[in-house]
Amino acid sequence: MIYLDNAATTRMYEGAVDVYKKYACQSFYNMSAGYNKAIEVAKDIDEIRKLILKKLGGKGDIIFTSGATESNNLAIYGNKRNGKWEYVFSEGEHPSVYNIAKDLQNQGFIVHFIRLREDGQIDYEQLQNVVNERTRIISVMHVSNETGAINDLKKINLIRQKFCPKALFHVDGVQAFCKLDYKIEDYNIDLYTISSHKFHGPKGVGALYVKNLNSLKNIIFGGGQEKGYRSGTENTSGIMAMGYAISHFNTKDNYDYVEKLKSVIKKELSVDEKIKIFDVGSPYILSVTFSGVNGETLMRALQDYDILVGNGSACSTKKAGNRVLESIGFNLDEIKSHIRISFSEELTLKEVEYAGKKMVEVYNNILEKVK
Amino acid sequence: MKVLLLRFGELYLKGHNRYVFENMLINNIKNMLAGEEFKLSKTFGRYVITDYKEERESEIIEKLARVFGLYSLSPADEVDADVKTIENYVSKINCDGESFKVFVKRADKSFPISSMDFAKKLGEIVLNSNKNSYVDLYSPEHEIYVDIRINKKAYIFDNIIKCHGGLPLGSSGKGLLLLSGGIDSPVAGFLMARRGMSFEALHFHSYPYTSELAKEKVITLARYLSKYIGKIKLHIVSFTKVQEEIHKRCKSEYMITIMRRIMMRVANRLCEKYNLGAIITGESLGQVASQTMQSMTVTGSVVDEIPIFRPCIAMDKEEIIQVSKSINTYDTSILPYEDCCTVFLPKNPVIKPTIKQAMHEESFINVDALVNECVDGEEILEIE
Repeated sequence: MIYLDNAATTRMYEGAVDVYKKYACQSFYNMSAGYNKAIEVAKDIDEIRKLILKKLGGKGDIIFTSGATESNNLAIYGNKRNGKWEYVFSEGEHPSVYNIAKDLQNQGFIVHFIRLREDGQIDYEQLQNVVNERTRIISVMHVSNETGAINDLKKINLIRQKFCPKALFHVDGVQAFCKLDYKIEDYNIDLYTISSHKFHGPKGVGALYVKNLNSLKNIIFGGGQEKGYRSGTENTSGIMAMGYAISHFNTKDNYDYVEKLKSVIKKELSVDEKIKIFDVGSPYILSVTFSGVNGETLMRALQDYDILVGNGSACSTKKAGNRVLESIGFNLDEIKSHIRISFSEELTLKEVEYAGKKMVEVYNNILEKVK
Repeated sequence: MKVLLLRFGELYLKGHNRYVFENMLINNIKNMLAGEEFKLSKTFGRYVITDYKEERESEIIEKLARVFGLYSLSPADEVDADVKTIENYVSKINCDGESFKVFVKRADKSFPISSMDFAKKLGEIVLNSNKNSYVDLYSPEHEIYVDIRINKKAYIFDNIIKCHGGLPLGSSGKGLLLLSGGIDSPVAGFLMARRGMSFEALHFHSYPYTSELAKEKVITLARYLSKYIGKIKLHIVSFTKVQEEIHKRCKSEYMITIMRRIMMRVANRLCEKYNLGAIITGESLGQVASQTMQSMTVTGSVVDEIPIFRPCIAMDKEEIIQVSKSINTYDTSILPYEDCCTVFLPKNPVIKPTIKQAMHEESFINVDALVNECVDGEEILEIE
C-alpha cells in the first residue's frame, strides 16, 4: 500500500503503540488518584507537557484534549466574550474552526472572514482592514490542510500588535506541529492547537497551548482535571504515546526527506501538461488537479493499484465546491478534478515515483473514457 | 385481560376468495411477530392478539403497524360482555379533569341495551367517578371505546392506532424494484408493497465513477424496506462498461435515454430469470428529463411482456418526501453520494426522445452483449 493521505492521518509509530500499551496495561492508574503509582503517572504526563512546550517554543500551559476539534472549540468558545466583540477567521480554516465561526455569526456576533490569496495564504491587507480595538480573537491556521499553504504568522502578529493589541491570536497548527521548524513565541501566539494522529501518534488525543490561562473559561464541566479547563479523566496512554511520537519525529530530517519525495512526484506528474500542481508551502502537502476527470473517481481508481490519495473535502456534482479552493480562485473543473497528495517519512522514493507514474497512466485511461 | 385488537381494511371488499387474503394476512402477522410470544384468534371482523408479554407491547404494536392489510389496531382490555362487568370496568377509568366521550359499538345485537343508551349510561358512571370531568361529544380529550363482539366479549380501549391499510403482502405477486439510492425509489417500493406486492431490488453501480459508499447506501435503504417485506434479495449490477460505451459512441443528449433503456432490458431479463412479474420504478412525471411522458414511452418500449409500475408517477416531490420520512429512508436517501445516473450527465439531455432516434443511437453499440454482461455479472445480496 502506498499511502499518500498523511494529512488525513498517519500510521502510528510502533514505539508509540508500545508506550500506549504500557500506560494502558501497566501504569494504567488514574492520575488524579492520590497513591504513589498514580502520582508517578501524573509526573510522566507533566514531562509530556514540557516536551510539547519545548517543541513549540512557547512559555505557557498545555491543556490535553481529545484532539484538534476540541482544542479549537476550547480556544475560541473558552475565550468568547459577550458584548461588542468581533471575531476574525480565515476562509481557509478547517471545519472545526470554520463552523465555530458560523455559529458565532448565528449567535449574532460580528464575524469577519479573511479571503485567501492565489497562493493560498490569507489576504493580509484585508486582515489589516478588518481588525480594530473590538477584535477579540484572530484565528488563522498555520498550514492549510487542503493546499499546504503556510500563513505568515509573523506578519499577522505585527498587524495584531499594531491594530488590535488586545486581541487573542489563535493558530490551528495541526498540519504544522512537528513538521515545520518554528517558535510560537516569535509570533506571540496566545493559543495553538495540535493533534497527535497527524504526526504518528494515536487518534483521540491532542492539546491546546495557552499562553495565559487567566482569560480562558472551561467549556466542559466535571471533575476539574487539567486545572479545571478540561474535565474528564486524562487519556494518559494517548498522551504518553503522543509524547513518544513527538520525541521521535525528526523535524529537520523529515522535512528534507519529504521535500525530496515531493520533487520526485512533481517530476513524474509534470510530464503531462493537463495536470496542474499547486505547490505553495509545506512540502508535506501537494494539491493537484487532473483536468477533465473527477478527483473522487481518480481516487477510487488509484486504490485499485494500492495507492491511496486524499480527495480533500468530498464534493459531489450536486454540491459543487470546496470552500477553500473556491476562495483561492480555483474554477469548478479544477475543484472537481482536485486531489490532495500528502507525504510522510515512511514512504520510499521508489514508491512515490511509481505512484506518480500510475497517476498519469490511470488519469489518462479515465480521461479517454469520459471525454 | 390485555389484548391487541386488529382491524383490517379493504379485505371487506373481497368476495368468495376473501379467505385467501385473510390467510395471507394471518401468515404475514405471524411472520412479522416471529420470535414474540402471542396467540392470534379471529372473531368476526377482528383479529385479537392475546397472551403476549406486556413489556413487549410497544414493540409488538410497532411491528404490527408495518403489516399491510391492517387498517388500525388498539391495545384493549377484554372483559365478558355483560352489563354489570362492563359498568364495573368503566367505573374504574381515571380521566379526571379531562373532557371525554364514550363510544359504544354493538356487533352482538343480542346485547340487551342499545348502543346509544349504553353509551349514555356509561358516561354517567364515568362522570360519577371523575368529579372534575365533563362530556364533550365533539372534541373530547379522552375517548373511551366499548366494542361488544359476537364472541360475547367486550373490548374497552382509548386509542386507535392507524396502520398502513392496503393488501396483505404477497397477495399481488412479486416485482423487481429499481433502487437507485435517491428519495423516490424506496417510496415506490413501499407503495407497491402496501398494495400487496413483494419485491426484489436491482441497483446499478458504476465503480470507480461512483463510490463504494453509494452501494452501502442502497444496502441501508433495502434494510429499511425489509422491515416491511422481510428479507430482500438485492441484485447489484455493474454499469460502468455500459456507460462508457454509450458515452463513447452515442449522442450525448441521448446518454440517459439509452442508459435507461438498457437498465429496463436488464431488469426485464432478471424478471424472466427469477420469475418476477413487474418492474417497479420511482419515476414521477416530469421530475427530470428522463421522466417526461416521451422519455417513459421510449424507455418503457423495450419491455413488452410485463408491466412497469410507477406508483410515484402522479405525486409531487413534497408528497414523496413525506412518505420517505415516514418510512425512515429520507435521511439515508439524501446522503451526497453520486449514483450512476449522475455520472456522464450530459448538459442538455433530450426531453422528448423518440423510439426511432433511440434505436438509431443504439445501433452504434452492442446492446445484447452489454445486457448479457450485466445479467451474467450480477452480485446478489440478501438484506434483512
